Amino acid sequence: MDLLEAVWDIFTSDATYVNGALAAGLLLFAASGEWVAERSGTINISVEAMLLSGAFCSAVGIHVSDSVIVGVFAGVAGGLVIAAVQAEMSHRLAANQFVVGLTLNILVLGLAAFFDGVGELTTRKAAPFSVPLFVDIPLVGKALFGQPWPFMLLFAVVPVSWWLVFRTRWGLEIRAAGSDPQAADVSGVDVNRRRRQSIYYAGFTAGLGGAFLIFVSIGRFDEGIVSGRGFIAIAAVIFGGWTLRGTVAGCLVFAGALSFRISLQVLGYTGIDAEFLQALPFVLTVVGMAVFARRVRPPAALAQRFVRGLN
Amino acid sequence: MISGHAQSTEFDDDSLNPAVRLRGIEKRFGSIVACDRVDLTLQRGTIHGILGENGAGKSTLMRVLIGLVLPDGGHIEINGVRQRIDDPLAAAELGIGMVHQHFSLVDALTVWENVALGEVRRLNRSEVTRRIGEIGKHYGLDIDPDARVGELTAGLRQRVEIIKCLRRNPSIVIFDEPTSVLTPQESRKLFESFRSVVAAEKRAVVLVSHKLDEVLAATDQITIMRHGAVVDQCPTATADAMSLAHAMVGRDVSLRSERVAFRLLDTSERDTAQRRNVKASTGAARTTGPEPSTPRQDPANVILSDRASVLEIQDAVADIGRDVCGLQGLSLRVHATEILGIAGVEGNGQRALADLLSSLVPLNSGSVMVNGSAVSTRSPGAMAKAGVGVIPEDRHDSGLVLDMSVEENLALVDPDRFARRGIIDRRELRDTALRLINDYRIQCEGPDAPVWSLSGGNQQRVVLARELDRQPKVLVAAQPTRGLDIGAIEYMSERLRALADSGPGILLISSEIEEILELSDRIAVISRGSIVGEMSRAEADLDRLGLLMGGSAA
Amino acid sequence: MNTRIVEWVGLYLAAALMAFALSAVLVEASGGDWLPVLEALVDGAVAGPSRWGQTLGAAAPMLLVALGTIVAGRAGLVNIGQEGQLLIGTAVSVYFGFLIGGPGPVNVVLLCAFGFVGGASWALLAGVLKYWRGVPEVLSTLLLVTVATQLVAYGLKKRSLLLADDASRGNRNQVSAQLSPDNRLPNLELFGNEIPMAVFIGIGAATLLGYGLARTVWGFRVRMVGQNRRVAQRAGVSEIRYGLSAMAISGGLAGLAGAAMLAGGGFQFGNYRLVPGFSAGIGWAGLLVALVATERVLPAVGVAIVFGALRTGSGFVGSTGIQGRVTDVIQGLLVLSLLLPPAAMAVRDRRRARAATTART
Repeated sequence: MDLLEAVWDIFTSDATYVNGALAAGLLLFAASGEWVAERSGTINISVEAMLLSGAFCSAVGIHVSDSVIVGVFAGVAGGLVIAAVQAEMSHRLAANQFVVGLTLNILVLGLAAFFDGVGELTTRKAAPFSVPLFVDIPLVGKALFGQPWPFMLLFAVVPVSWWLVFRTRWGLEIRAAGSDPQAADVSGVDVNRRRRQSIYYAGFTAGLGGAFLIFVSIGRFDEGIVSGRGFIAIAAVIFGGWTLRGTVAGCLVFAGALSFRISLQVLGYTGIDAEFLQALPFVLTVVGMAVFARRVRPPAALAQRFVRGLN
Repeated sequence: MISGHAQSTEFDDDSLNPAVRLRGIEKRFGSIVACDRVDLTLQRGTIHGILGENGAGKSTLMRVLIGLVLPDGGHIEINGVRQRIDDPLAAAELGIGMVHQHFSLVDALTVWENVALGEVRRLNRSEVTRRIGEIGKHYGLDIDPDARVGELTAGLRQRVEIIKCLRRNPSIVIFDEPTSVLTPQESRKLFESFRSVVAAEKRAVVLVSHKLDEVLAATDQITIMRHGAVVDQCPTATADAMSLAHAMVGRDVSLRSERVAFRLLDTSERDTAQRRNVKASTGAARTTGPEPSTPRQDPANVILSDRASVLEIQDAVADIGRDVCGLQGLSLRVHATEILGIAGVEGNGQRALADLLSSLVPLNSGSVMVNGSAVSTRSPGAMAKAGVGVIPEDRHDSGLVLDMSVEENLALVDPDRFARRGIIDRRELRDTALRLINDYRIQCEGPDAPVWSLSGGNQQRVVLARELDRQPKVLVAAQPTRGLDIGAIEYMSERLRALADSGPGILLISSEIEEILELSDRIAVISRGSIVGEMSRAEADLDRLGLLMGGSAA
Repeated sequence: MNTRIVEWVGLYLAAALMAFALSAVLVEASGGDWLPVLEALVDGAVAGPSRWGQTLGAAAPMLLVALGTIVAGRAGLVNIGQEGQLLIGTAVSVYFGFLIGGPGPVNVVLLCAFGFVGGASWALLAGVLKYWRGVPEVLSTLLLVTVATQLVAYGLKKRSLLLADDASRGNRNQVSAQLSPDNRLPNLELFGNEIPMAVFIGIGAATLLGYGLARTVWGFRVRMVGQNRRVAQRAGVSEIRYGLSAMAISGGLAGLAGAAMLAGGGFQFGNYRLVPGFSAGIGWAGLLVALVATERVLPAVGVAIVFGALRTGSGFVGSTGIQGRVTDVIQGLLVLSLLLPPAAMAVRDRRRARAATTART
């Protein structure tokens, strides 16, 4: 099959947009919280662990209660537990945030594998929920307005993240903590507390992301369910130059690449190797950084710990 | 007039409840006593100066009052009520505000966001910008609330600091060393406008400073601290400079270098002229200097330009980031055996100038010549190799590696000196380190002690020892006495003077005019990245320098 | 001074105990039995016959990776992409190793050299991006891990790159050819254990690196760049040159670890072939070793051995009916708890030091 033909087929099929929305949804949940955490000065590598933990806890939640709502809450709790370890260790005990993050990623993967071996979890997707009229919009209608209800949370999470960071005092203090913790401290901002809170927020949205994986996109848990998409969310924040608009754009671009791959496979087109499409988000981010790194400004204190009286 | 404790003056006051009463404040850091049972009373409607050398404990005391440091003992009364102040927010609620030098502004945020930072109310942009306008009108502090703070000049940033403090309508205002970024005229104007407002609005104002004349000019009441304790307290009207100076150090003050340390101006020109005579004759008597053929001159009319120039900068243009002033066509010339003082308000290119001579900033155009030959500004270390020694403004930034040992820091610039085939000869390194530690009286536990464990003065000596041991052709001393205590300042001044007499030229960059006037043979004024005026020491006076520094022609 | 050492030892012991106690709780909570698990772990790691050789064999590549992290760290660079550098190093070594061939000992040296070069170039990519375009190396090295994984997976699908010919791969479709027995790193017989050659490479590298960093002008300058790059520039040390050299060595050591895993075979590492998942997380584990050892050479040796023991022990845990992956959990908990003592002590020390020097101003 010709590549152009395949591309045409892909762009005109509803399934592409549904897949794209599913891929983008997960990234957006993870990236909007990650963005807040990075604005406060933390590169929250454990977002990967947060997603996995959120997904696992969601699966356990619905297994135990047979209720999607309970499952979603369990997912949030799963994200928050990881956030608690990351936040308290790196911004209360001043341990290196990368070590904590990397370790959490390995630890949670091990835990997931360990518990997965303990027994089977009965899970299911949430029931689809169609917004009347909107769902009939050609191409994107089903993708955006015909998904199970946890998908709809996305329409709240992204704007709320923006509002929190740019319109509330909390967000002002988050931004101050991320760009000049000493000055923020002298002004009366509890820097490490704000940073911890921003990580908790990242845990909250990533927990929702985990629930999203179970109830909207996959339907059941296995340990490879996240497989590096937390890293893609981090890449999206960087790709977006630490603006929310750019982050959302990054998520959409990367989700496009991911779903493009799936669609090509579904259509049986093998002219492009899966490996290239899988690496694409990362290559794009590296290239994007190489082009823009001198023009965009990361939060000045990104990845630096703050201890009063030090520095 | 030495009264020892504040209580004795308390009874003289007619007001029953002073704005602030600190009682027996104690603070220890490890074995060091920063505040030793300090008592202090601040009255409404007055400006109270707290005077003391660096390390006297005045900043710690103020940090206790503002909630940044928790005291080990004693208590605080605000308006007669005993209070606990655990953090800056609690202090703000009690009406205590502090104007920091420049540490409390976040560059990435706008003016109004900075002003609102650290409050607890709901964030309301229009309300904050309106208040900024009001305060601006009331105190003459005009500013654009939507400007990004990182793009403002040092003077405007200071304005934002003051507005940020006044915005909370504090009844107690603390100024922490406020004048280093202002011209003398600006600071005089600021305190004049404050005086009237303070009296009218019944605020209590504290001015923390190590500058005697500033405190004498601006305050109503003076408290002097030494070694963490209050040693004297008196109304400004009855104070005189010499006895205040005596109280600050605890002994009589007569040496010139001590007066430098106090930032006290000597009005007589006699000493300087004398010194130059002496210097000229010693300079001429030397036979092994860079210019052995210098004819013996009549000391009374030494013509500086006849001497060899060891450093020459021509039309230097350089950027050092958009937030800081770079160089815009700066030219200057330093001769052997002279001290050229660069006066100017901070943030007018001094940093770029020092960085240029440390090979940290490349020139966009222009040239640098050391000892007659051009030096590349783009290759790392070229200046050091050409014989430029540097005592940087911030020794932690570009002078020392804090986590390395004293001996490693002494070898930083030139490790090959101690190495054979790339491997460091530890014995040679150790011998040199011991010699320098001895020669420069560096107090440390030994050559292995990490530099961060040394006091500021001793860290500065490490830098000095390293730079002078390499026998530079020209030495750049940027704010060489900042943050040092009086003994260290004396030592530094004497060393610089002795060095100039022995041959090299010295480029002294300082924002302390008094230091410049005391040490320099010639003075150049820097403003917005270029030299705007140059004069010999004899022609210089405070007013003329101040006007030049402010950017107006004199 | 003595009380300080006691404090340290006590803190670390308490932290390690805490990690094991937590793991025990976990196993018991999931219906398992902790004691047999622990026994199996000890058996598999050190107590069983010839287990020391296995443990050290697993520890050696981690140590090499950790040493790389340490060099980069000394130069002030945060390289967290060793997993990718290790894979690329192995791939380069496989490609050129088979392309050039040659007799046993020569080829083994070649394999190691190409492993080093491969890892070094992958790390240099991040280094060049940093100095040329200002891309933070923390992020680029991390992102390049996935790119490397996919690149190697792609190479393993192409006959012209890494894929073995039909005859030697049976029905597997992503596998490289197998090193012939005389092109492998030999084992040394010592105290009844077969010690892989890689262990000695690791120890050699550790010695060389420790000495180089502490005693040579190069090491002095690398540390200068790492701790205060402005001082370094003033002193004529080019940040770019020394930064890039540290980055190259950092990645090179990761690549060397990969080559040693390939040619040393042994523990789980793909049986003298490059396969998907070949790295087995050694890149990540080595990174953790360095970070837990607070980027110091000697402690890294010890930590690597502990991590190696956990890895070899995990194989034996399976027989108790508990997932072998429980060792990942133990390792994770161990790392987290070991982070506490140095973090707590560092903050306290710095506070004291600051208080003693500058607090009064």
